[in-house]
Amino acid sequence: MKLTGINRNYYGYFFIAPFIIGFLVFGLYPVYNTLALSFTDYTLMSRGGSFIGLRNFQVLFADELFVKAIKNTWLIWMLNFIPQIGAALLLSAWFTSVRLKIKAVGVWRAIFYLPNLIIPAVVAALFNSLFAFYGPVNQFMVRAGFLPEAMHFLQNANIARGIVVFIQWWMWFGQTIIIVMAGMTSIPVHLYEAAMVDGASASQMFRRITLPLLKPILIYIFVTSLVGGMQMFEIPYLLTDGRGAPSNSIMTNNILMYMKFASSKGHIGAASAVGVLVFLMTTISALSIFFFMRDRDDSSVDKTARKWFSKKNKS
Amino acid sequence: MRKSFLSLLSLLMIASMLLAACGTGATTPVAEEPGSEATEEAPSSGGAEEPAAGKRVLNVWAFTNEIRTMAIAFEARYPDVDVVYTMIPMTDGEYQTKLKASIGTADAPDVVALEAAFVKEWVEADFLADLNDLLPLTEELKTYPAVVQVGSHEGVTKAYSYQATPGAFFYRRSIAQECLGTDAPEEVQAMVADMDKFVETAAKIQECNADYFTVGTSAELFNPFLANRAQPWIVDGELVIDPMVVEYIQFAKLMRDNGYESQAQQWTEGWFAGMNDTLVGADGTPKKVFSYFLPTWGLPYVLIPNSTSDTTDTGGDWAMINGPLAYQWGGTWVGAMDGSPNIDLAKEFITFVALDEENLTNWATGVYTNEYLKAIDPTTPDDQAQAAGDFVSSQVVVEKITSTFDGSALYEWLGGQNNYEAFGEAAPRVNGALLTGSDDAIQRALESQRDQYLNGEIDEATMWSQWLDLVRSEFPDLVIPEPPTN
Repeated sequence: MKLTGINRNYYGYFFIAPFIIGFLVFGLYPVYNTLALSFTDYTLMSRGGSFIGLRNFQVLFADELFVKAIKNTWLIWMLNFIPQIGAALLLSAWFTSVRLKIKAVGVWRAIFYLPNLIIPAVVAALFNSLFAFYGPVNQFMVRAGFLPEAMHFLQNANIARGIVVFIQWWMWFGQTIIIVMAGMTSIPVHLYEAAMVDGASASQMFRRITLPLLKPILIYIFVTSLVGGMQMFEIPYLLTDGRGAPSNSIMTNNILMYMKFASSKGHIGAASAVGVLVFLMTTISALSIFFFMRDRDDSSVDKTARKWFSKKNKS
Repeated sequence: MRKSFLSLLSLLMIASMLLAACGTGATTPVAEEPGSEATEEAPSSGGAEEPAAGKRVLNVWAFTNEIRTMAIAFEARYPDVDVVYTMIPMTDGEYQTKLKASIGTADAPDVVALEAAFVKEWVEADFLADLNDLLPLTEELKTYPAVVQVGSHEGVTKAYSYQATPGAFFYRRSIAQECLGTDAPEEVQAMVADMDKFVETAAKIQECNADYFTVGTSAELFNPFLANRAQPWIVDGELVIDPMVVEYIQFAKLMRDNGYESQAQQWTEGWFAGMNDTLVGADGTPKKVFSYFLPTWGLPYVLIPNSTSDTTDTGGDWAMINGPLAYQWGGTWVGAMDGSPNIDLAKEFITFVALDEENLTNWATGVYTNEYLKAIDPTTPDDQAQAAGDFVSSQVVVEKITSTFDGSALYEWLGGQNNYEAFGEAAPRVNGALLTGSDDAIQRALESQRDQYLNGEIDEATMWSQWLDLVRSEFPDLVIPEPPTN
């Protein structure tokens, strides 16, 4: 290639500039500002506000509700994530299986993805009226003889939590299927063919070929779902009274943050302190996922497969 | 690359802490003197409509289109004024958030409408102008004391209202006839004159027909009980658990345990179904609800629209009385932003809206029809109008116009009763001094615990302690008393 006198190297910076500027203004600055605000007692409804050091954090750690919100958020997230990834792996394995050859995969995938297109407010309102005291679930259960009389489903802590877990699972497993399937279809068919020739069973192929090669995709799903799960808000907020009822069983980090903001004249300082701690917790958890799921050297079969795969990709 | 990014990040962190340490509020964007910018800059349009040239401009923000009617009428009286009206819906708190965010910016309105749920928060804060000089007008018009009390804080009145919202007790005449032997309002009022008599009557109705519920839900009585406390929720930085609060919980438990309430949650389908006789138990048996606790606006906006279904119509079968407890519920107040460059005009507008006999009379008697408004401003939307019947805040006006409602559609709907007269009796008895800006959070926290307790999920002691934990979490500086014991 012939070199001209002009150095074109810096053109790249122009191309990435919009993102960098957008990130600095809408990503980094809010994080920085939240951190700064968390050391103040600034509220929207009064003039001024002052630096109060770690007082907001002190109050927060003494607050039993904060501990409860963190426990709830983790519990609800894990209870929905495990079945979500399980269902996604199983259905994707079936959909991409060369043996089963399921028809109209695209249609199924679209159907499973549909719940994700409904806005959370509508979903929450729907489940709220389904499980109301005079709602259809009670009518069905009583008339079919499963329940002696109507009950308040959303007054029971475990049932309310279960409904949130179900909604989260139902709304998001379709999305996970799409990503997992994309990962699975990118695994070369030769590997499965070779394994079949060697007499491998379906479960062996899944454990020794599919799972190891899918690891980067799984880490991605794991981390994005964790970040989303820690910020869970709409469904638990709109399903009951917006304050984690019954008995704070569906109070999540973000509901607590919103409550700190909404009451006490819009106490931004206290709400920011919650935000900062949730940010730290999410960051540490995400980094540990990367750490514990990083590639370690071992001598199992999947290593050979991976090597072969990466070589193939490079060429 | 990564190293330099990390060092940049740590630098930012250190910088932020330094800034936060010595800034004492200066780091926060809105902490400057509010209004200072607004005075320098020309009034902004607010984004709703373009202000007309050569006229004085007044920016009004509201959460419904109700006050727009009065804004148009105001322009008829002051032809040199252009009211720029901005409507922002209250859905998910959008209005409140936008209003808070506008403080101290050039976009801040001159006049703001404030709903009962958050008017006190604003009246207690520093951003509304002192409107004490309009107080003499309230004496002239005999504005109901509760209306002024809600708009005042520590001797300064900052907001006025064109409505009063006394609560009432609406009951089904047919059920009263069947179970109580009479449907005459005076006689039924005597049967529910206090809470003990109310419970006796509830027992009578259940005995008469087990599928009749006295109320939709005991939650409807939370407001009435709270309105009859001796002290507000917060006194000198301490939470006060008034005996009425404890009494209410016991009452609600009694209603639930004896099956006097339908258990439908307020504002859900089941609760509305009771209004038009389509309530059906889970096993398929039809149920009826005897009464509803609703305020002035509950009649035209809640009860009447829900009294018909595809197959049923309960219109004409209702009557209204004061019920066991005097209370008020809801309402819209108007205030002026402190530091508004148009403060004098804003005061004129507030006077017109809330403290003007002619306007209040027109408002309540249905003068402001769509044609009337179109004659003033041809661009008025087709659905902009005010039907007769809203209960106004001035006793002088109420007394003058009460008789005009005899024989109206509402009169027929209530089986031949003048609702204006009944509200007029209830309004002076209401106490508005109990409201504080923190009520909403404290009450909603108790409501969710109450429902748990009523349903037998938790015991009474747990209910009180969980509620106090919630209050403590939201108001860390509040002194929390010991939970009540029986």
